[in-house]
Amino acid sequence: MGGGAAGIGAAGAAKQADPDARITVFTEFEDVGYSPCGIPYVHGREIETFQGLILQGKEFYENAGFDIHYETTVASLDAAGHAVVLASGERVPYDRLVVATGFNYADPGVPGSDLEGLHYVKNIRRAMEWDPILDKARTAVVVEASPLGLEMTTALAHRGLETHLVDAHPWALSEVADPDIMKPVQDSWAEMGVQMHFNAKLEAFLGDKEVRGVRTSEGEIPADVVVVCTHKQPNNHLAREAGLEIGSTGGIVVDERMATSAGGVFAAGDCVEVPQGFTMLPLQGLSGSHAYAQGKTAGTNAANGQRTYDPVFVPWGMVAGKWMIGGVSFGETTAGALGMPYHLGMAQGISRARYYPGMQKILVKLLAEPKTLRIIGAQLVGGEGIKERADFLAVCSKKGITMRDLAVMENVYSPPIGALNEPISLAAQNGLARLAQAGKST
Amino acid sequence: MAFAEWLRVNSQHYLLEASEREMAEKYLGAAPPLTGGGLRAQFWRRVFVPAYRLVPWSWRRSLMQMMPGSHRRQWTYRPSWKGRAPPPSDPSP
Repeated sequence: MGGGAAGIGAAGAAKQADPDARITVFTEFEDVGYSPCGIPYVHGREIETFQGLILQGKEFYENAGFDIHYETTVASLDAAGHAVVLASGERVPYDRLVVATGFNYADPGVPGSDLEGLHYVKNIRRAMEWDPILDKARTAVVVEASPLGLEMTTALAHRGLETHLVDAHPWALSEVADPDIMKPVQDSWAEMGVQMHFNAKLEAFLGDKEVRGVRTSEGEIPADVVVVCTHKQPNNHLAREAGLEIGSTGGIVVDERMATSAGGVFAAGDCVEVPQGFTMLPLQGLSGSHAYAQGKTAGTNAANGQRTYDPVFVPWGMVAGKWMIGGVSFGETTAGALGMPYHLGMAQGISRARYYPGMQKILVKLLAEPKTLRIIGAQLVGGEGIKERADFLAVCSKKGITMRDLAVMENVYSPPIGALNEPISLAAQNGLARLAQAGKST
Repeated sequence: MAFAEWLRVNSQHYLLEASEREMAEKYLGAAPPLTGGGLRAQFWRRVFVPAYRLVPWSWRRSLMQMMPGSHRRQWTYRPSWKGRAPPPSDPSP
């Protein structure tokens, strides 16, 4: 059930585990096999056409032996009877089921949510229909500075629209990133003409039939287009109704095989919750790469293969404004919210030799467990090299690497691609120096 | 919404709000104004958040582990503080 990254990942892995398996995919959408994560970049004209996001045509899946039912809604799930019931009333039995029903955007919960023209970035066909409107539009409002909100703000500003970002929090992406990490991003948005409305609560979408703006606690903002980028909530109503165990995040409860509480039913992607690797507290709504890897695990096990998925350390990264930002697991804000003690090491480094053209600054923050100095989180902002560092630090966190290890790490030095001093190592050295200054053992 | 979901939604919201205000003071120079001051919000802000912060981290972590969720099922990988993983359950579906 589901034709996104998790569903198609599961189908492919199941076929790989058992080439004779009959794989049926139900999706309520018109397409599978494209990258929805690329949609903001077409709106922003960084990518020329939507065709560039299509990874495989429908024939590819037919030839690979998948029976994909497009625009087909599953109305209910009978886990005890090992069958799904389609909206048409047809009952389809299964031996194993993978639930990959993805997410829905959180309801903004304000008047006007039913107005025409509110855009939700999810389906490539709707994006293709909506995109020409941007040629005539002059002003845009982006609701919520979520990861998608950051991408859409950047894209619409890049497209030349007067873009307003409305968010109830004090800085962008505040539930993930720290304010010092986001400051360069927000400064660059200001340079691009973005008008930021933080600490502003959305009160209503305005318009008669079509949306023509928003009302916030700070006043009204007229707009030609409004993009809703609220939180991703698990699309779990079928699983709930079928009695599958749901966790505190609202995601389906799974184990390391992505098996749910119902026999023969697996689940993957944005509809599940998985534990964070350091705290073992459940998280939901991760990235497309997490969904795909979970789907492969679910599909393999559904086809009697053996594959396990580990708790996550959540390396993340993105382009926002003129900067790249990223991190691993916790920042100061999230660690502070949990009340998790941490020791901080910070440094401003550079991405290449300082004399080499294109050199960019990189700010690295490392959070370490106070007793062991094991890395439990990181945040980064810079002009380049953020994704690779976030991936590396996620492995460090998973493997118990400490601030001491990173302080003496070896690093590549080559003027066009790396500076003499690695910013991660500088941050770790500064963290140890702070401990030494405080008279604590390093 | 089950109790565990209700507790997580509310505790996460108000704990993040408190942390954001501290981070805003530290890095932006001032905490943002508080919005939504009903009785319910007052309870979470004035009772729950301070009480949560009084509890030592290891206790808090243990309490959170008692909540239902995926973390209570079989995961071979475990952080050092959790000790060794229990033996795997029967993998047959």
